[in-house]
Amino acid sequence: MKPLAKSALVFVAIGLAIYAGVYFASERLVYRTGKSNPFYKIETAEPEKFDWVILGASHAMPLDFSDFNAFMERETGLRILNLASPGTGPLYNRFVLEHFLRRHQTAGVLYVVDSFAFHARAWNEDRFTDAKLLRRTPFDPALARHLLRYARKEGVDARALLDYVSGFSKINNRERFEIDIWEGEKQFDRIYRPSTTATRSRIAYLYPKPPDETVLVRYLESFSALIALARQNAARVAIVKLPVPAQFRSQLPREAAFDGAITRLLEAQNLVLRDFSQALNEPRFYFDTDHLNRSGLTEFFRRDLKSVLAVR
Amino acid sequence: MLFTSLEFFAFLPLTLLVFALLPAGRRWIWLLLASCVFYGVWQPSNLIYLGAVALVAYGCGLGIQGSEGPRRSAWLAAGLVVVLGSLFAFKFHDFIAGELERLSAVVTGAEPVRLPRIGVTAPAGYSFYAFAAASYLIDLYARWLPEQQHAGHVALYVAYFPKIFAGPIERATHFLPQVRDGLRAHPEALVLGLQLIGWGLFKKVVIADNLAPLVDRNFAIAAFAAPMELLISVYFFAFQIYCDFSGYTDIAIGVSLLFGVKLMENFRRPYLARSTAEFWAERWHISLGRWFRDYLYIPLGGGRAGAVRRYANLMIVFLVSGLWHAGLGYGIGWTFLVWGALNGFYQWLGLATRSFWRRVAAFAPRLSGSVALLLLRVVLTFHLIAIAWVFFRAKSVGDALLILQKIGSRLTELPALALKYPFTAEHAFGFGLIGLLLAVEILDERRPLAVRLAAMPVWLRWCVYYIVIFALLILGRWQAKEFIYMQF
Repeated sequence: MKPLAKSALVFVAIGLAIYAGVYFASERLVYRTGKSNPFYKIETAEPEKFDWVILGASHAMPLDFSDFNAFMERETGLRILNLASPGTGPLYNRFVLEHFLRRHQTAGVLYVVDSFAFHARAWNEDRFTDAKLLRRTPFDPALARHLLRYARKEGVDARALLDYVSGFSKINNRERFEIDIWEGEKQFDRIYRPSTTATRSRIAYLYPKPPDETVLVRYLESFSALIALARQNAARVAIVKLPVPAQFRSQLPREAAFDGAITRLLEAQNLVLRDFSQALNEPRFYFDTDHLNRSGLTEFFRRDLKSVLAVR
Repeated sequence: MLFTSLEFFAFLPLTLLVFALLPAGRRWIWLLLASCVFYGVWQPSNLIYLGAVALVAYGCGLGIQGSEGPRRSAWLAAGLVVVLGSLFAFKFHDFIAGELERLSAVVTGAEPVRLPRIGVTAPAGYSFYAFAAASYLIDLYARWLPEQQHAGHVALYVAYFPKIFAGPIERATHFLPQVRDGLRAHPEALVLGLQLIGWGLFKKVVIADNLAPLVDRNFAIAAFAAPMELLISVYFFAFQIYCDFSGYTDIAIGVSLLFGVKLMENFRRPYLARSTAEFWAERWHISLGRWFRDYLYIPLGGGRAGAVRRYANLMIVFLVSGLWHAGLGYGIGWTFLVWGALNGFYQWLGLATRSFWRRVAAFAPRLSGSVALLLLRVVLTFHLIAIAWVFFRAKSVGDALLILQKIGSRLTELPALALKYPFTAEHAFGFGLIGLLLAVEILDERRPLAVRLAAMPVWLRWCVYYIVIFALLILGRWQAKEFIYMQF
């Protein structure tokens, strides 16, 4: 072997050994700083049967902010695990539920529906490549295989798998020493001052493209598969829309058409959409344009959600 | 394709592998093909622009070679009008139309006159390969490129992927003979190439992209940002743009060395310049500076046609340079013209005071050679350049003036403000990176880093390599930004 090639091999071998060390340290940090990532929660949850698993996008996340999940558990006497993550649609949530059901059991799945999450690839397939989610996801060979299946069959970018297996996002995590808290949680006790501009830009962010019927059909199918999966595992399913301010709700594009489509889908499966979106209109119940703050959530829980969770 | 993308890290070894398997005389074909893939992968239609420019360069080049006298000049003019005229139209047609509409509304006080828009922006890198094509035509016309050129070689010269998005603006006289002689990569060139790629990536993803968020934040809210925060942003931007742009060219030169092509040096530690003249002539974007010198400044008469013409020529060059930079990352606007004019004014100032400084040097030779004066000149030059960068980066001339006014009005209080300022980890990290960069540049200025590395024991050299590689992995912002200079 030529000296240059031999040197290159030794150099690469030492580099790989250092990489392995850095990977190991990054993985340890994931456990030390983990909190809100759904896969971290699945990995670290006690192997018991839960009464409810909550799925959805960011609107469902305040249910696990601060001590609110513990509060709900105390009030209902139920074991609840919140696996919602920001900006995630039915495809991503199905992926989470599939992984959860490999390790644990649940008597019910509470899905918090957001219309935007059914209207764009950005909130479904593309979410798998988001470094913010990947960098907090503990390594698990089963999850890697699961991701491979999604890359082959569901159109998820193979780079998500490459990133996950190589641990790149964890190694490259600029917030590696910070606790994994979604930025909204820091504002949980805040009261929102309404802003038309902020609402408009929020809607524009949630709907990168105008709603498209064919896209909606695709994600409704994915949602249907999620319901079927829950039922195969003997879990009852409850579908809710959480309260949002009137200003936000009124600007959602084609919301009535979405409600109609999802209601038809649920009726065909003997389910109902519990629409609480108009339950709390006042800005004092929100910490930003569309997320419930502590007082809003407490009000909503006492008034509506508690009875939904109490159904056995 | 971005140099910082995953696709590029797959593309490069694959391209190299096939390149190595081909005979040296045929490698240019593969490089041309790879360049088309590299450039067209984002937007295949961009290849039409590239093909058109290459075709115009070759076609008009044939015309120049096959004719004499006025016909020869006509071929040159036709080529330049198409290549540079299209560049001007793509950049400024819609901007000028918008400005004229606004002007008409102000003058008439009525609804603005609606002017047609072309609604087309040129693809990334157009400014660079249009200038390369123009350089080819002028070199042919001036008989600096005497012999008949191979069409494929000319196409490769225009499209060569390492330099297509942000230069260096290579000269045909330097590039084409290398292709004609057959492309061979030597082991030493491979090592140097990899070193440059590593350092270029470090400058881009570790330094530039970690400085960018603070700069973006504060330039976006100039009216509300504190003077100290704006001052930090101005400093950070000076290093962001340097590391972004020179990082790109380091990677371009490094990648090119892997294919046996030597591209020209484009940056030479610019913030160690002792004057703005030295900054522009010898250290910053050297390939563009030489382009303007050879194809604009000297044809205009340069410094040989009297003092007034010399001053005018200098200003013309910097104004044109300002226009050329418009659209590079921060949109089209008057800011670039002001930026060019300000740099031109610096050259005037330098020229006007040159004899005075010579007299001072003759009067006090020890002072003129002192380290303190050298440092003072370097710091002063850096600040003049940094002031000009404010116009480059700001959203509007008004914003730039506001930033300078906010900093200027508190200038005397800045030391006290700095002591009380609540510096964050982001600030500390940014200044740490700048300090590291300057330390490396000072070492490089005294003795080239490549030479230093070669003289090191293997274990130490490898430690340096691993530090750079793992800094890229651990600290780099890989999802962040395009290179600033490739956005037009």
